[in-house]
Amino acid sequence: MVTFHLLDWIWLIAFMVLMIGCGVIFYRLGKRSQSDFFLAGRGLPWWLPASSVYATHTATDTPIWVTGVIYKYGLAGIWYTFFAAWCAVSAFISTRIFRRSLAYTQAEWQSLRFGGLGGELLRGWVAGWQVFMNMFILGWVGMAMGKVCFFAFGWPLWVGLTSFSVVCAIYVLAAGYWGVIMADFLQGIIAFSAIVIVSVWQIVAAGGPGEIVAKLMATGEGWRLDPFAFSGWFEGDFPIAWFLTMMVIAIVGGIGMGTSMDWYVEAQRIQSAKTVRDASYSIWGGTALVLVRNSIWAVAILGFFALNPNIAEMKDYEMGWFQMAFEYLPAGMLGFFAAAILAIHLSTISTHLNLGAMYVTRDLYHHYINPQASEQKLVWVGRVATIVLLLGSFMYGLMMEKITEWLIFAIWIMAAGVWLPNILQVIWWRFNSWGYLSSWVANLSLSWLIVWVLPELGVIPKLADYQQFWLLVFLMALIYIPVTYLTKPENMDHLVRYYVMSRPIGWWGPVRAEAEKRGLLSNE
Amino acid sequence: MAFFRRKWTPGEADEWTKEDYIASVLSALAYIALAVGSALSMLLMTSGFIILAIGILLSLAMYYIIDPKLRMISSEYEKRQKEYLQELAKIQRWEEIK
Repeated sequence: MVTFHLLDWIWLIAFMVLMIGCGVIFYRLGKRSQSDFFLAGRGLPWWLPASSVYATHTATDTPIWVTGVIYKYGLAGIWYTFFAAWCAVSAFISTRIFRRSLAYTQAEWQSLRFGGLGGELLRGWVAGWQVFMNMFILGWVGMAMGKVCFFAFGWPLWVGLTSFSVVCAIYVLAAGYWGVIMADFLQGIIAFSAIVIVSVWQIVAAGGPGEIVAKLMATGEGWRLDPFAFSGWFEGDFPIAWFLTMMVIAIVGGIGMGTSMDWYVEAQRIQSAKTVRDASYSIWGGTALVLVRNSIWAVAILGFFALNPNIAEMKDYEMGWFQMAFEYLPAGMLGFFAAAILAIHLSTISTHLNLGAMYVTRDLYHHYINPQASEQKLVWVGRVATIVLLLGSFMYGLMMEKITEWLIFAIWIMAAGVWLPNILQVIWWRFNSWGYLSSWVANLSLSWLIVWVLPELGVIPKLADYQQFWLLVFLMALIYIPVTYLTKPENMDHLVRYYVMSRPIGWWGPVRAEAEKRGLLSNE
Repeated sequence: MAFFRRKWTPGEADEWTKEDYIASVLSALAYIALAVGSALSMLLMTSGFIILAIGILLSLAMYYIIDPKLRMISSEYEKRQKEYLQELAKIQRWEEIK
């Protein structure tokens, strides 16, 4: 149990007042229009969305699972966090294409890229899926906060789950994305500073860098200092084949849209940047900071390992980073650390509240229910949707212990089988909505078979996750490629409009030729 | 003529060129070097400082190569953005686009 002193409470209360202040200060800007409530008027310089990329990708559960992989695999565990590297390529390819489309959401982009009934079906599907996902992530992250509060203060789980999310909802409801982005900027600074200070403090508490290295070497654990300490090419639980697969998924995936779950969040940041250039640098800069942050964490966790080397159960070591902070920080600093935890938490919660509400408002309500809605009405629908998401997330959070395994599986299957189609929709003009839809449908059934049913029946052996990935990529192609060729290409007028606006990369020859014929491309 | 272009016309900047591909590769390498270099530097290892320095140099090279092109794309696109936004609003309201 942690005991707070007066100075600790002052830190914490000052931070909460500052966050709610963001909602009050930017209330007038947020309520002006749908564009302001969800994209801050598309006018942000690169460093604001970059700080939001960083803040959003630092959730309450992030230090928990980073601790888990570093404690288990040593420094090589940083590759588990390297999925964020899809932004390396995306910053200069898919970010540029998406920013030029001007779509509010990925769901809207589907209907700009694909026309007719197929495009609309995709828009509805992606919007519905994203509303669900945002609610789920809110519940997941909320429950992580519940666990941290239980660990630190002994509060019942539901108190941590609900109380801080309600504070967050105040500034999201008031100022929409303006409140989110301005609070994220402050939260990003506080969270990064605190993570650096607390991690350095922990490293010193463990005896300093030299002592950590010496202890690991002396106990035969020196391999933990090697970021490339794999268990072999294919054997063991951390093989090079996994590492290479992860690199391909992350880096090649940056060409596509939706290859990472984080894409949907970044899409909002991309559109809120004032130019294509600002969008590119915001994605690149924010992610670079995330990767450096992970490395700082990793070393602090090595320090935790040096002090506590023989913890067998993950549930006992995954709270290591929090545990060291609460044990070693002096009075006064604890409040600063708690404010940082709160910053980490609120930035993720605020993002997903506003993002989920945008899918409800822009893609479901405005496009399908009330296309003639006024800007003021859309802002109010956004606010109502925010409240619904908040309440839904509490429900998910309380059920989370029972459904986590199923939902992790759901996220995995949503990522693996449609990974290549998510790239093809960007780079190949002939890939049509029916091909893309078929990949989603086939993915839902095939992934169950490959991951659970067939291994259970003994038809195929239980495969490692990277093997499942490649098998799903191959099998899925056997379905969506024939479907694409057996159905008509997208309407050429629709494709030309999309091409001229977005200038996508890849195989777009016939569409480009048609655009040139119509005199729609600049030759200066 | 320099290997990397520093001056672009709007039409040229809209095309995908070697600058885009090289910047993407440098960007990925920079991420790897920054991640590994930061961790090893925190452990005060010499190799860490060298790798971190390489990461920073790769980032600067990436910026040097891609920035002139991004500036041109952005300034040119901003001129057309208003018209595209009007089209988007029509699509949203199910109105016909010419």
